[in-house]
Amino acid sequence: MRKNSRVTQLLLLGILLFFGSFLIVPLLVLSAGSWQSGWQTGLAQYGAVLSDKNIMLAIRNSLKISAAAALLTTGLAFGLAYTVHCTNIPGKLKKAIHLGIILPMLLPTITYGFAIIYSFGKQGLLTKLFGYELLSIYGFNGLLTGYVIYTLPPAFLLINNAFSYVDKKFIIVSQLMGDSFWRSFVNTVLRPLLGTIGSAFVLAFILCFTDFGIPASLGGTYNVIATELYQVMLGTIPDFQTGSVIALLMLVPAVFAVLFLNHLEKFNFHYEGFRSTALPVNKLRDRVCGILSLALVGVVAAVFAVMFVAPAVKNYPYDMSFTLQFIEKALASRMLLEVYENSLLVALASAAAGTILSYSAAVVNVRTGFSKQTKASLDLLAMIANTVPGMVLGLAYLLSFNGSSLKGTFTLIICCNIIHFFTTPYLMAKNSLAKLNPAWETTGELMGDTWAQTMVRVIIPNSLATIVEMFSYYFINAMVTISAIIFLVTAKTAVVTSKIKELQHFASFNEIFVLSILILMTNVAVKLLSDFWYQKLATR
Amino acid sequence: MLELRNVCKKFDNKIVLDNMNLEIRNGEIVSMLGPSGSGKSTLLNIILGLIPMDSGQLLFEGQDISRVSMKDRGFNIVFQDYALFPNLNAYGNIAYGLKNQTRGFSKAELEELIDFLELRPHLSKRIDQLSGGQKQRVALARTLATKPKILLLDEPLSALDGVIKETIKTRIKAIAARYNLTTIIVTHDPEEALTMSNRVLIIDQGHISQYGTPAQVIHTPANPFVEQFILKQLEIKRDNIYHLFQKCHA
Ligand SMILES: Nc1ncnc2c1ncn2[C@@H]1O[C@H](COP(=O)(O)OP(=O)(O)OP(=O)(O)O)[C@@H](O)[C@H]1O
Ligand SMILES: [Mg+2]
Repeated sequence: MRKNSRVTQLLLLGILLFFGSFLIVPLLVLSAGSWQSGWQTGLAQYGAVLSDKNIMLAIRNSLKISAAAALLTTGLAFGLAYTVHCTNIPGKLKKAIHLGIILPMLLPTITYGFAIIYSFGKQGLLTKLFGYELLSIYGFNGLLTGYVIYTLPPAFLLINNAFSYVDKKFIIVSQLMGDSFWRSFVNTVLRPLLGTIGSAFVLAFILCFTDFGIPASLGGTYNVIATELYQVMLGTIPDFQTGSVIALLMLVPAVFAVLFLNHLEKFNFHYEGFRSTALPVNKLRDRVCGILSLALVGVVAAVFAVMFVAPAVKNYPYDMSFTLQFIEKALASRMLLEVYENSLLVALASAAAGTILSYSAAVVNVRTGFSKQTKASLDLLAMIANTVPGMVLGLAYLLSFNGSSLKGTFTLIICCNIIHFFTTPYLMAKNSLAKLNPAWETTGELMGDTWAQTMVRVIIPNSLATIVEMFSYYFINAMVTISAIIFLVTAKTAVVTSKIKELQHFASFNEIFVLSILILMTNVAVKLLSDFWYQKLATR
Repeated sequence: MLELRNVCKKFDNKIVLDNMNLEIRNGEIVSMLGPSGSGKSTLLNIILGLIPMDSGQLLFEGQDISRVSMKDRGFNIVFQDYALFPNLNAYGNIAYGLKNQTRGFSKAELEELIDFLELRPHLSKRIDQLSGGQKQRVALARTLATKPKILLLDEPLSALDGVIKETIKTRIKAIAARYNLTTIIVTHDPEEALTMSNRVLIIDQGHISQYGTPAQVIHTPANPFVEQFILKQLEIKRDNIYHLFQKCHA
């Protein structure tokens, strides 16, 4: 690829400007925020935060519960992926497990908490079913359950994907060589996946550490860093300086996590292309894995079932006779429909603009002749965007744009989403663009096309499937996020997730569940549509 | 002797192996030949014990082994892509099974095998530093070291080119003779099948089309399928080569 056209230079400039204004500057403002009244008081501020008993307790709590949840999640996710890849249970069951476990991804985390209260709580559905409280969910147990349900899908997808690159023929070879089940398991399954298992743990840990929705709905007596930050910023006396310090403290583990993840990459085995194979017969293995996995999916499904049941009965859980009155009432409420429309608007705009930005960045990275350094700087920006927790980004925006005309606008919320969810679609696009024939631009040029024409006529049409995938990723995440936008919404720009947080204070659970169902339905529709379209485009 | 009696296999209601009957004598090299999708790999996997058959019987030395697990049958396979462990070097791969087996090679036997396959200079190499032919020999050695009662080879030559192909061919024949090893080879190349084996099993859509010595297949093809799809290919190849050499001489 040769010299860069004016178009590609403008594209690069636009991308860098956007990242400069909506990622780098806000982060600088945030770190400056903690030093705003001189470095001496700044230092004192750090000292004050670090010696504040409540804050330190919250941080310790966060570390502890995130580690516990990540450990549990990684184990479960591995078990599920093992069932999907290494057993001979029927393909339909495998599909059901896969689908069932990633379904929670389509819901905001703040819903999880309420669903858990309504399932495991004193008056919960499962509690009624079993006749006693399975576990006391207010506090540690509830949070742990929520975190596990929340992190299971991404951890599962990560391990599941890595599993598909593990050559199952090794399992056969190892057994033929006389290995016991365990030696075979360790050598041919566990060992090649060690790096990925580590990554899944780190990923789950950092997701728990930075999530706001679950502790917001469930935390109660167990304070974690996310709720602490929220208290400090939006409590009775907002304290911006302390808030910045806590936000930066929240950023530290995230930075380490990303560095660690990059390091773990190296542990992964890289098998050369291989053919698929049948798996050794082992009825016991199939039964145990199949039953446990289905049970796990069943529990997750049961937790969320309550979301549909609660608003559809007269007086949950005392009078369980069916009624549509609450749902009708909720849907008739102008206010609820408005926030739903706001959410749709934000998600659509984030998805459209976000897809364009991440696709453009990927094009600049893989299909232009810019220098290595320029390309690496794009990767670096993506990595930074991936590192900054949603709450930290939101707070940085709050501090940076408070005095500007962007304050309290949808635009700001949309920009925040674009940056916050940038990395995954960017990597999707890079991946897919790198696979396209590198000679196409040259061919196009020889045919008399300009660079932009070749993009529009050849490159974009050949990566449409990926673009659909990117769009749906952005849309669904923008629809369910709360941590990234909680500091940015106003009464006028409220979205569904922030409304749920507000409704919590009025204990309007019917409305909360109806709104959650709306989000779920919308996301399911988008997912089905995009999957269908993706299949069609990918197989043509 | 290995015997298959009325072996049937379906995948999703599609018949892949239809009532197969077959005998393979000890020490014989048998090639399974057939077009893509005819059921060769399925048959191989059933003999290996990797996948269960729907009905029928498998007998080895007169014993019914239909329900014996893959591990306990004592057969072994070399996969088409070798499946060498990438975290172990060549020697690590070759010696992999020795730890577990009482039945397998002794240290001395293994050393002898390494020399026989001319692998000594490559023992400390990583897998990705080996050429295709070397990988093939490492995989062969790893499998032979477990002293399999039957050696199964799935398309052993398809990943190799020209000259290497011929040397591996000779090597496989020599190994079978040296260890008096029953060897079953899957291939879709008639030339390979007819030049390497004592007997050839021609499979067409899950049916045995013909089972006989190479001479029988060539001189008395059992049906039009054998003539059309197997012998035709050979004839075209032969004519091309004749044509080529005549031109050169002229
Ligand atoms: N696990 C499976 N599930 C469903 N169908 C299968 C499975 N394995 C094989 N088949 C089908 O069974 C038939 C025979 O497959 P098999 O792999 O035995 O053919 P083959 O003769 O080895 O072909 P090739 O030369 O391409 O390797 C094919 O139609 C294939 O699609
Ligand atoms: Mg095959």
